[in-house]
Amino acid sequence: MSALYLYPRWLRVWHWINALLFLVLMYTGASMHFGEGGWLMPFDLAVTVHNTAGILLTLGWIGFAIGNLTTENGRHYRIHLSGFVDRLIVQGRYYAQGIFRNEPHPFHVSAGMKFNTLQQLSYLGVMFGLMPLLILSGWAFLFSVSLPETLLGLPSVWLVAMAHLTLAYLLVLFLLVHMYIITTGETVTTNLRAMITGWHREDEPSSGQTEEAKS
Amino acid sequence: MNDQDVSARFGGLLALGLLLLGLLPGAMPQAEAAIQGRLGTDNADCLRCHRMETLGYRDPRSGDLIDLHIDGRQFGHSAHGELQCIDCHEGDFGRYPHPESVLGQRLDCVGCHQELYKADKRPYTFKTIEQEFALSIHAVSDSPKAEGFDCHRCHDPHGFRNSEVGQPIAEIVRADNQLCLSCHEKIRDPHSAAHLWLPKRDKHWQSVRCLDCHTPLTDPGRPVSHQILAAKDSNFDCVSCHSKEARLLGRLYQYRSETDLAGGGWLSKAVFNEAYVVGMSRSPLLDALGLGVIGLTLLVLIAHGWGRYRAYRRLKEDRS
Repeated sequence: MSALYLYPRWLRVWHWINALLFLVLMYTGASMHFGEGGWLMPFDLAVTVHNTAGILLTLGWIGFAIGNLTTENGRHYRIHLSGFVDRLIVQGRYYAQGIFRNEPHPFHVSAGMKFNTLQQLSYLGVMFGLMPLLILSGWAFLFSVSLPETLLGLPSVWLVAMAHLTLAYLLVLFLLVHMYIITTGETVTTNLRAMITGWHREDEPSSGQTEEAKS
Repeated sequence: MNDQDVSARFGGLLALGLLLLGLLPGAMPQAEAAIQGRLGTDNADCLRCHRMETLGYRDPRSGDLIDLHIDGRQFGHSAHGELQCIDCHEGDFGRYPHPESVLGQRLDCVGCHQELYKADKRPYTFKTIEQEFALSIHAVSDSPKAEGFDCHRCHDPHGFRNSEVGQPIAEIVRADNQLCLSCHEKIRDPHSAAHLWLPKRDKHWQSVRCLDCHTPLTDPGRPVSHQILAAKDSNFDCVSCHSKEARLLGRLYQYRSETDLAGGGWLSKAVFNEAYVVGMSRSPLLDALGLGVIGLTLLVLIAHGWGRYRAYRRLKEDRS
């Protein structure tokens, strides 16, 4: 059994708050988008909760960005270009075929890199691409009076609304895939437990540091 | 106050006045002289009589009660609150009874407002208002009720004030709609069939001005038109508000958003922002694409999970 301390406390706290906010934003967002009724939240309440959760998500994202700039966790988001495409193909092939043939994982978690190339790419895209855009479009919604009447020849409020909607759908998609992909660790719950305890534990000894990696 | 109330109170006052005058021989000329002596030309002079709630007379031609009461407090808060009565009511009102020649004047808003400083430079000129009103159902209707319809029917010059950014939206909507409902009172009758087609009718009435649907769509940034539409020509299409690229949506949203942001700190206004209109982010194409891709992904993930489960079972069987 090897154990790596890969998820410091601040990161876990941020992750689970972020996860909760994601769920709240999805539910209240759907309630606002489709109107109240059935299992949806009453519209007026949904608006207030959605706005509040959006503001908290913004603060959380700023905390996440600062955390990754000022701690070692940021290194997991740095792309190593050497062999990048090969690693991507190997990882993709594993998810598409190898995993059904009980082939060994092509990637091994280490203290230097906890994400496989596909994970790294998707987390980078989500956390530093989609999330900031979603947050910006949300704030643009709230303060649309400060926007010009039109953007790119289209009504700016409509453009902001469509951007926010598209980004929201993409992030719902991410959440689904993310929740599934975390079950593809050594066991179904290996990755989930790592995000709860901070420790990534595997039966097979992984390369790099073990218990003493905790700092 | 309804006609009956005015009639009763006016009748009572008149009877009391006649009784007193009858009992006091010679009082009439003295009272009139006293009034005449003290009548000036500032608003306080006019309001000495016109603030009386029962002041009015019955028009001998139409038989209608003409209410001459002015609420001094309301007038002070109105758009014209800083004006003197005689700025609009020109003529020899310094005498009582007022001379026949100055009575029955029909005051024309556009005529006066067009003379205001830079009136022709306003983005929404009174000329435009006049042109729009000329096409309004209030101007073209054959109904006897619309006869002689002028600005004053909606914009009481002694009380009207434009809503201002920062006022609570519900208050603005209520005040605006009250203008319409003061005549169209049957609309709110529980047995009225009007607006039955409208989903969440009461919610709409609380949140949307009548004018938002009963005027033609205007270009972004322009105020609501004065061309009031007939019911049949009004906006019945939900998608005009609750969908993409809707000019009506832009108008409503920007207006509400501006109102929301004016009244308090940016954070509290971000939290309690009421500007979002149900469905304003609705796009049938994006919804279909988004929900379709999410549904397909879910199926793929389920199939993938099933494949993994079968591989796991095979592995266990091989090991055993």
